[in-house]
Amino acid sequence: MAEKPQPSANFSSLPVILLLTLFSLPLVLMYAYLFIDTISETPVGSLIPNEFTLRHWSFLWQTKTGKPNIWLVTLNTFIFASCITAVILTVASMAGYVLSRLNVPARGFFLAGVMVLHAFPSVTLIIAIFIVLQYIGLYNSLIGVILVKAAIDLPLGIWLMKGFYDTVPWEIEMAGIVDGASRFTVWRRLVLPQIKPAVMALGLFSFLTGWSEFILPQVLAPGAQVQVLSVYLASLIIDDNNFDFGTFKAVGVFYVVPVLILYVFFQKHLMNIYGGGTKG
Amino acid sequence: MRTSRTLGLFMIAPASIMIFLFFLMPVVLTAIFAMTNMSTATGISGGAWQVTQAAVNRLKTDLPELADGIAEPRFIIDEEGLKELETLKLKPGFAAELRAEHMGEVYPSRREAERVIKALKDRPSTREVKQISDLFNRSVLNTRFETRDELMANLKKLGFDLTPQQQDIVARATYTGWIWTTDNFRIISSSPDMAQIFFNTAFYVSVTLLLFNVGYALFLALTTHYMQASTASVFRAIWLLPRITPVVIYVLLWKWLTWDSGFISTFMSQFGYPPKNYLLDTAYNAWFFVILINGFIGASMGMLVFSSAIKAIPQTQFHASEVDGASRLQQIRYIILPQLRWPILFVTCYQTLSLLASFNEILLSTRGGPGKATEVWSLAAFHTALNNYTGNLEYGLGAAMALVLVVVGIILSLIYLRIFRYDTLISKPLIED
Amino acid sequence: MRILLDKFSKSFGSTKVIEDMNLEVASGEMLALLGPSGCGKSTTLFAVCGIHRPTSGRILFGDRDVTNLPSQERNVGVVFQSYALYPHMTVEENIGFPLMVKRAAAPDIKKQVAAIAALVHIDNLLDRRPSQLSGGQQQRVALARALIRRPDVLLLDEPLANLDAKLRLEMRSEIRRLQRETGITAILVTHDQVEAMSMCDRIAIMKSGEIVQIATPSAMYNDPRTSFVAGFLGNPPISFIKGTAFQGAFVSGDGHLKVPLAALSGISDDTPLTLGVRPEHFGTGGDIAVEGRIVFAETQGRENLYDVALPDGSVLRSIQPVRNDIKPGDQVRWMLGSDAAFIFAENGQRL
Repeated sequence: MAEKPQPSANFSSLPVILLLTLFSLPLVLMYAYLFIDTISETPVGSLIPNEFTLRHWSFLWQTKTGKPNIWLVTLNTFIFASCITAVILTVASMAGYVLSRLNVPARGFFLAGVMVLHAFPSVTLIIAIFIVLQYIGLYNSLIGVILVKAAIDLPLGIWLMKGFYDTVPWEIEMAGIVDGASRFTVWRRLVLPQIKPAVMALGLFSFLTGWSEFILPQVLAPGAQVQVLSVYLASLIIDDNNFDFGTFKAVGVFYVVPVLILYVFFQKHLMNIYGGGTKG
Repeated sequence: MRTSRTLGLFMIAPASIMIFLFFLMPVVLTAIFAMTNMSTATGISGGAWQVTQAAVNRLKTDLPELADGIAEPRFIIDEEGLKELETLKLKPGFAAELRAEHMGEVYPSRREAERVIKALKDRPSTREVKQISDLFNRSVLNTRFETRDELMANLKKLGFDLTPQQQDIVARATYTGWIWTTDNFRIISSSPDMAQIFFNTAFYVSVTLLLFNVGYALFLALTTHYMQASTASVFRAIWLLPRITPVVIYVLLWKWLTWDSGFISTFMSQFGYPPKNYLLDTAYNAWFFVILINGFIGASMGMLVFSSAIKAIPQTQFHASEVDGASRLQQIRYIILPQLRWPILFVTCYQTLSLLASFNEILLSTRGGPGKATEVWSLAAFHTALNNYTGNLEYGLGAAMALVLVVVGIILSLIYLRIFRYDTLISKPLIED
Repeated sequence: MRILLDKFSKSFGSTKVIEDMNLEVASGEMLALLGPSGCGKSTTLFAVCGIHRPTSGRILFGDRDVTNLPSQERNVGVVFQSYALYPHMTVEENIGFPLMVKRAAAPDIKKQVAAIAALVHIDNLLDRRPSQLSGGQQQRVALARALIRRPDVLLLDEPLANLDAKLRLEMRSEIRRLQRETGITAILVTHDQVEAMSMCDRIAIMKSGEIVQIATPSAMYNDPRTSFVAGFLGNPPISFIKGTAFQGAFVSGDGHLKVPLAALSGISDDTPLTLGVRPEHFGTGGDIAVEGRIVFAETQGRENLYDVALPDGSVLRSIQPVRNDIKPGDQVRWMLGSDAAFIFAENGQRL
């Protein structure tokens, strides 16, 4: 059939669209008000805003007492997410290739390990990790929490990378070797370029999970100098003295907008990975 | 043979090291910490020996006499005290006489010591008696000893002659650092609180899994299947939002929805219902929202997995079944669902694990409340070890609770590995160098 | 049951695939929809079985207007190119599926499945799953499933395309046998002219969404209405030579070949024409001598096929009983039967 697959003419899609719209309403409402409330005032007991204001955004130019500067926090978050991405891409692109293609002893064992770990609920290890970081003095430092977060996300990254490499035809590598290149060169010059889009998707995914991570920085690096946006926002919300949803939401929007932008532009790439790395 | 092997080991080394350091070691350490009573009080490095009031209380059951004795001050006429006395510039006769007559004597109470001092030939004043007796006070109460032997030597000097067994008891009672113990597991298996938390967890995981991570995910996948591709992608994008939104913001949205000045309250007040905090007013409501909050996130993975599984069913099977006379429900029941068995199993396994372990959302929304109504296992472990109201963080007990999850996690993921037959995924390298 | 397509049109978005098509299939007849891929034959079939709805026009089964009826209520049986067997069901469940969704009683289903399985000779395979069957067996299961609820209409979408050559031959006669035995009205969609000619009572040949000609296989072969039809039917295919009209005869480009034809009597000189000669009408018998050089020779076992290049570069194809005296490069002078040659106008219409 030349035409794209489309819903069968035998079933009307109207009822399912109506049903799903109804179910999606609360979600849409929450996200709509997330944006509306940051730039408006709503009288008590009403749902409709009556006044435009930028008051809630004052956190951008006024540092709150007892809280770190928002730009420092943003920078921390950016460093945190970028470093995680860099570590995961570097380490996983190498390890994934080994698991997919190279003759190493106990390759099957590695692969089983990676697979178990990628399903393994790593948050349960946080208590031990907390104590370890205290021992080795990396508690309350960005580097410590970056290493931990990267290590925890690594098995999934390796698993996905292995899947990407599996799709590269062997012939390319065979040709490269016959042409006299070493296995390393073959990997670097011939194989890696083949999976560039997939690597980009994994990079985006890692960046987003790093950007969103809450519990690890909260437990392992809560200090003001190393605070990230999630911890900052959580500490705002938990502070009962300054309860103001408008400000919370403004910080929230400030925090979520980069995520949404990346999501809108790269939705297709990301969908595959959010599906759980199930290609295998 | 050598090149690919060396290269392989070199390339996999960073991953191995990181996974070893931050994955395998924590697993082992969790098990180790679970066997201790580490807490804020004991510290995480070694401890010392100190006869605190609490230690005395502990001793009272086994060695009541000793406990009473230890708690009392002890007075010993020793060289150390005499030297200090000499520097005090009182009458020199005091020190000389004490050294000559009473050296090495031990008095079990201040009264006895002071009676001896009062009887000195140079007749000290009442104030001086007090001053002198203080110099010979050799109580071990609240003194810190770096080693066990030091404590024992001091006790001996004070006239407590202890058998080795008694020494063991005293040492155990006075040690301030952490010790090896299996108490954590006894607490876990016998405490009614733990039983409640266990029940909460089972309830939370099974209900969320059934209703949302699988049930609602199937609903989303099926409904979007019966739409134009473009419409379907809009809905999929909406339902993926909870997953991509950072958890702190996502929970904030729910708080806004359920807060006493939030959306539901305001909305219901139009109909005359007084505003209240819908998230935390009753345990029933708290569970309702905890499950929704987690379920909305969980549904997206299933949705994507099931959608792509449905997409993998050849179009002609849908055509054929329609021509064969199947209604929409019959098509779902007989054609689609039977072919989603493996994806459903996969999502169930995967999500059981992540639901068991994730406590982000509950921590940020109800904090396990109201009361401990929505406290689940992983959150309880976190509360016990890393964040609780009393301030005494019980690392050991928390680690033991986490260890339960670790063991469950390992077992489930091994089952998962068996079901999904990883061995079929390894193909032999085609280049044999 | 008669099938009637009345001014049937179908478009997807802005692309019109079929416009104002009229087609009637007589009751008990087997009709082939033949054409190259993209000609709209599958679209027609999908509209008949109800998976797609016509953009305009009507579809009638007998006197019943089924235009807007869902597939479920049309009572059609379809055999898809990939068979579309349900992989998670046994053969028995597959065949019984149409009855099961109608909530027929289980013993009744069992009886009917057994009967139809015997008819298509797969009664020994009922417990298997589709993946355990050969292509031909899967084909039979698909046929049984299409036939079990005694459909008014049987639709076959490229049913032989996924079979190897030997099986294709076997299933060709098998499908025809079943269609005859059940007396069902059938439409066969195919791009293979051999299939269409050997299996069907009539052929409707389609091009770009239109039916070019409907006729019995032999009528269509011997009397094609356009050069497209002539070129589509016949294997090895017909060869065409470009030329012009001159005094009631066809003259090739450089004038070497001149074929007087009755059909050209009223045609003015220098009208561009195309001459079509089937390979069997060029060789040892005929009335017009043609000189050329053998550029290609191929044996097909019983017959040999030759390509003969004329001096102007155009090529005539010849099929003859096996002979060993000719090889590529040889000059030959062979005969062309002018009474069997077709002459087409520039727009492809036969004159």
